[in-house]
Amino acid sequence: MNLKIIWMDFVYSVKAWYRSKGGMFWSLAFPVILILLFGAIFSGIGSSKYTIYIQDQDQTEMSMMFNATLNATKLFNINIVKADVNVTEFIKEKNIKSLIVIPAGFQQTIQESHTNPSARVDLQFYFDPSEQTTTQVIRSVISSILQEMNKNLSQSRTIIGVREISTITENFNFIDFFLPGMIGFTIMQGAIYGSIERNTKYRKDGILRKLLTTPITRTEWILAKMLFMMFLAALTTALITIIGILVFGMTVNITAWVIIVIIATSFLFSGMGMLIGRFVKEEETADTAAGAISFPMMFLAGTFFPLEQMPGFLQTIAHVLPLYYVNEALRNSMIYLNQNESLINGAVVIIFAAVFFISGVLLTKWKED
Amino acid sequence: MIEQRFKCPNCEEIATFYGNPGETKVVTCAACHMKGRLTISGEKQDDAVAIEVSHLKKVYGDLIAVNDISFAVKKGEIFAFLGPNGAGKTTTVEMIESIRTPTAGSIKLLGKDVKTQFNDVKEKIGILPQEFHSFERLTVRETLVYFLNLFKKKADVDEIITSLDLTSHKNMLYKNLSGGLKQRVGVAISLVNDPEIIFLDEPTTGLDPKARREVWGVIAELRKKGKTVFLTTHYMEEAEFLADHIAVIFKGKIIAEGTLEDLIRTYGQSSVMHIKKCVNAPEVIEMLKQEGYDEISSEGNGDIAIKIDYKERVLDILSHLRHDCIEYESLDIRRSNLEEVFLRLTGSKLTEDTA
Ligand SMILES: Nc1ncnc2c1ncn2[C@@H]1O[C@H](COP(=O)(O)OP(=O)(O)OP(=O)(O)O)[C@@H](O)[C@H]1O
Ligand SMILES: [Mg+2]
Repeated sequence: MNLKIIWMDFVYSVKAWYRSKGGMFWSLAFPVILILLFGAIFSGIGSSKYTIYIQDQDQTEMSMMFNATLNATKLFNINIVKADVNVTEFIKEKNIKSLIVIPAGFQQTIQESHTNPSARVDLQFYFDPSEQTTTQVIRSVISSILQEMNKNLSQSRTIIGVREISTITENFNFIDFFLPGMIGFTIMQGAIYGSIERNTKYRKDGILRKLLTTPITRTEWILAKMLFMMFLAALTTALITIIGILVFGMTVNITAWVIIVIIATSFLFSGMGMLIGRFVKEEETADTAAGAISFPMMFLAGTFFPLEQMPGFLQTIAHVLPLYYVNEALRNSMIYLNQNESLINGAVVIIFAAVFFISGVLLTKWKED
Repeated sequence: MIEQRFKCPNCEEIATFYGNPGETKVVTCAACHMKGRLTISGEKQDDAVAIEVSHLKKVYGDLIAVNDISFAVKKGEIFAFLGPNGAGKTTTVEMIESIRTPTAGSIKLLGKDVKTQFNDVKEKIGILPQEFHSFERLTVRETLVYFLNLFKKKADVDEIITSLDLTSHKNMLYKNLSGGLKQRVGVAISLVNDPEIIFLDEPTTGLDPKARREVWGVIAELRKKGKTVFLTTHYMEEAEFLADHIAVIFKGKIIAEGTLEDLIRTYGQSSVMHIKKCVNAPEVIEMLKQEGYDEISSEGNGDIAIKIDYKERVLDILSHLRHDCIEYESLDIRRSNLEEVFLRLTGSKLTEDTA
């Protein structure tokens, strides 16, 4: 292997890229514009409804009545959490801001209160102290509902109370979610389209045939191109991260693992580009095919919008899409500091990368038929 | 005792025989069993052969794109592979360049078998693929330096730029060049490793006549520098203008081969004199027939064409015309060309657009 040739090819790729307005736009300007735009749109609009999670461990008429009353205020998006879910973990994992648990025995205690003067049941209200307004609103609504209920049950004392539990989740918002997605998406686009250009346009233009008759080997050429893809990925990641920190005051955590995932992502989608170029030989058609694959994937893999907001069958589809694992790995590592989740998802990315890249290299060739 | 290679005139098999210089011997072709007499010339021919192709064949499904062809290209010559679209030119050169794999047959480049030893000759050849288009956003000079850096053997890039008259364009991006310049840069790229053999696949197709002439000039220069050039083209003027040796390929077969003179002598007609708008044409024809010119044709509009077997007859005809005070508009003598040779051989024209 001739490292000089690899380096030389890399330098010329950078030069050519630097001169290409399209290349510069898609790998740098576009993600920045999108981050600024989406960041501005989604931070400006305050939700008029508050999202609240309820776990009903009691499952009785009384507990349902409480739910219905809460719902009737029309102030909340109410999400039901299954009774057997461990709420502390659930809150941590999903980054939940407010959750109410109706404990088992809720109805029974209330009924007993007629005969037992010391009977009392407490709802548990998990809240995020950093979300002050939201917590304040929910707190006052709950207490007024309970006040009403208590009055009906007994004139004198509190039978249904609230125990507040402060949760230490971090305060993540849309931009936190969006930034890693944008990094993954930009790297994917650059890798797929770059790879397609090399495997369709360069073939048609005779460049691959020309190279075949020079001493450069395909391995050297592929390594040089991957070096270039990593350069682009590094540039994109750095730029997007800096915007996140400077403009949105984010805390972004770049670790060695994040870099590994990003490298694997470059390999993954370069491999995918090779495969597309292998089967769709004409450049424009191949670009269209790449768009037809990457754009739906972008939405379905939870790049811009959380999967939880999508219908169930779409969430199932997400789990076969490579970009989904890229998003999850980057997000958990860069933002949520959830290293275990990141490791699992990142491992899936590496496996996808190996499969796509190796089959891409094996199935494409420079020789003509 | 020296070794010498011969090509069988019957089946084109290339065989090696041994003998003393000047010795004449009767040999039998191993492939077709034809007997023949040959004289060992004494010059070491092996060194003189740049490309040697024998029984080369390429099949695509039902189509035989290249059908059992054999030929040799001598060092230092411009060899033109002339044929119409789809004749099998690119398939053949790309097999020689190891880009495509032959169905059958063998190819030697500078004595090395292309199938197994191609890497040994990469440094010694330079190719320009058909419809080549280089990296769009590198300048002419950067493009040349890029390809130069791939080779161990390096020519002087600035010298190439000067000799191909690219100096004023060397800092232009490749994508902004005109078609003719792109082709010239393509030829320049094929020279960066100072190769011994240069393959140019239709280097002038699609160019206007001026740009074409410029590329021809560049190719003619290569011969002066002692390079071997393998040129494919479907322009017969290109082959006529440049080639030392021409092989005409048609439907995957080489149907004629030799120098331009050889081809015209063997397959062409003799020269023809055309008299335009002759005043009493029928009388003139009658008169010439009596003088013994039998191959005369006339269009009926006063135009007469007379076959000239040997050049003295030109004067003869002229003096007859003058003697009888025959009036005509114009007169010219045309030599037979490759177009006619091709027409003769295949019954079809080589190209529609001969610029
Ligand atoms: N990869 C391929 N698969 C199938 N058929 C092919 C392939 N390559 C060439 N052919 C066929 O082989 C024949 C010879 O093609 P080739 O490209 O060698 O012709 P050519 O003489 O170079 O023509 P042109 O002047 O158009 O370049 C054509 O009929 C062509 O369609
Ligand atoms: Mg061709």
